[in-house]
Amino acid sequence: MTDFLLCKQDEIQDGKGRAFEAGARTVAVFRVKDKFYAFANKCLHRGASMCDGAIADGGATIRCPWHNWTFHLESGRNVVDPSAALRTFRVRAEGDQLILSV
Amino acid sequence: MNDISRSGFEAAKPVNPDPINPKIRAMEVIDTDFHFTPPWPVIRNYLAEPFKSRIWHYPAVGLEYNPEPANEKPGVGQDSHGTAGTGAEALRVLDQFGSDTVILNPGYNRPMSIFSEPVLAAFCAAHNDYMIKEVFPVSPRLKANMMVCQRNPEMAAAEIRRVGNHSQFVGVFTEFSALYEQIGNARFDPIFDAMRGQDLVLTAHSGGWFNHFSPMFNGARTWVELFGNAPIANAIVHLAAMIMQGLFDKYPKQKVLFQEGGVWWLSDFMLRVDEFYVSAPGDIALTERKLAAGERYLRKLPSEYIMENVRFSTQPITIPKNPKHFGWMLELCRAGDLFCFSTDWPHQTMDAGNWVVEHPGQINEEMQKAILAGNARKLYSRI
Repeated sequence: MTDFLLCKQDEIQDGKGRAFEAGARTVAVFRVKDKFYAFANKCLHRGASMCDGAIADGGATIRCPWHNWTFHLESGRNVVDPSAALRTFRVRAEGDQLILSV
Repeated sequence: MNDISRSGFEAAKPVNPDPINPKIRAMEVIDTDFHFTPPWPVIRNYLAEPFKSRIWHYPAVGLEYNPEPANEKPGVGQDSHGTAGTGAEALRVLDQFGSDTVILNPGYNRPMSIFSEPVLAAFCAAHNDYMIKEVFPVSPRLKANMMVCQRNPEMAAAEIRRVGNHSQFVGVFTEFSALYEQIGNARFDPIFDAMRGQDLVLTAHSGGWFNHFSPMFNGARTWVELFGNAPIANAIVHLAAMIMQGLFDKYPKQKVLFQEGGVWWLSDFMLRVDEFYVSAPGDIALTERKLAAGERYLRKLPSEYIMENVRFSTQPITIPKNPKHFGWMLELCRAGDLFCFSTDWPHQTMDAGNWVVEHPGQINEEMQKAILAGNARKLYSRI
């Protein structure tokens, strides 16, 4: 497990995502109010960038920008096919900075 | 340097990932289905009189169900991923998806359900004139299927003869559904007569699933039923008509590209159409073309016409979770010979080319090239 320094918390807008290269991985990081979520950036369906997706269901899910595949932010699981899940990663705040564990 | 960075964390790099696989950008890609929707006021300027002076709005068409309730994107209608109505806008999308060449299909929603054939024919002519005067000059990468009034074969034939010699028109756009008489019927021969000798491909694109005039559609409730699956049945029916009613015996050089009717049914179709034909060929002689030709049977087994005359665009592709099954399906459906890549941009089920290059165990380099561009190059002599 490696910890990566991402950015300052306020550099990710509420309801929006950003992508980061952390080692060999590309990870999408989203902010919903004061919570941060991190998961593999590539959609399992056709490879769209999840960082361009939209937060839905009152902040509980993320929707792929291409074909609307929708995943729970907490678990990464698809809402209608739980066998399809984005890999999730731990992201935490230290001071005003965000740290990603991959 | 702040306290955190001093404490020894590795720095992650903010990126703007390109969702298109870099291999796609390195290969030739021909997109055989891209819906191009010029702004209505622009098209109206090209309308002939008396239509231009009497038609201020895009003509009313039949009730249509679109994916908004299914994908919860209100206000975008069928154009879930955007709208392109000029040559420059189309080129921008091509570059976004790594496509070298595109075949633009008329994007207006279901024009064939405009009730007046003269209005529809005028609309088709205006669209085609706009393509010739304002879109094709932008880039040789932009090709198109011309728009015709397919309900009236004589009107369609006249339009094909009027503009069909423009080198950037590579085919003729038609639609199939349970609401259209099969374009394989001999009644439509004026269209094929007009196309003969012009190397134009007939595109048969899924359409007309809106719920009127059809008990089957009246019973449907969801986007998956209407769009996901009804086109499969319709494509099968329309392809069978082309073959069994002798279209390809009368027009042996005519090529057809089916779009959005699915592909994986092909393996069963080819077996079944041959099986039934060999056992029960008696009524082939009673079809219009065979009566006129005085022929009793088809000249080949039905499945052989598919290999010779028919191709299938890929979008929306479905991919099984088991890679072994995917490989079998590709082989059974002769994907290396029959499949032509398409995005269907900007519609809801738009495909990028990633899937073609991301299954190297099932789609080898040779098949990747064939699907992405090679099969389209063989199909379209004008590309």
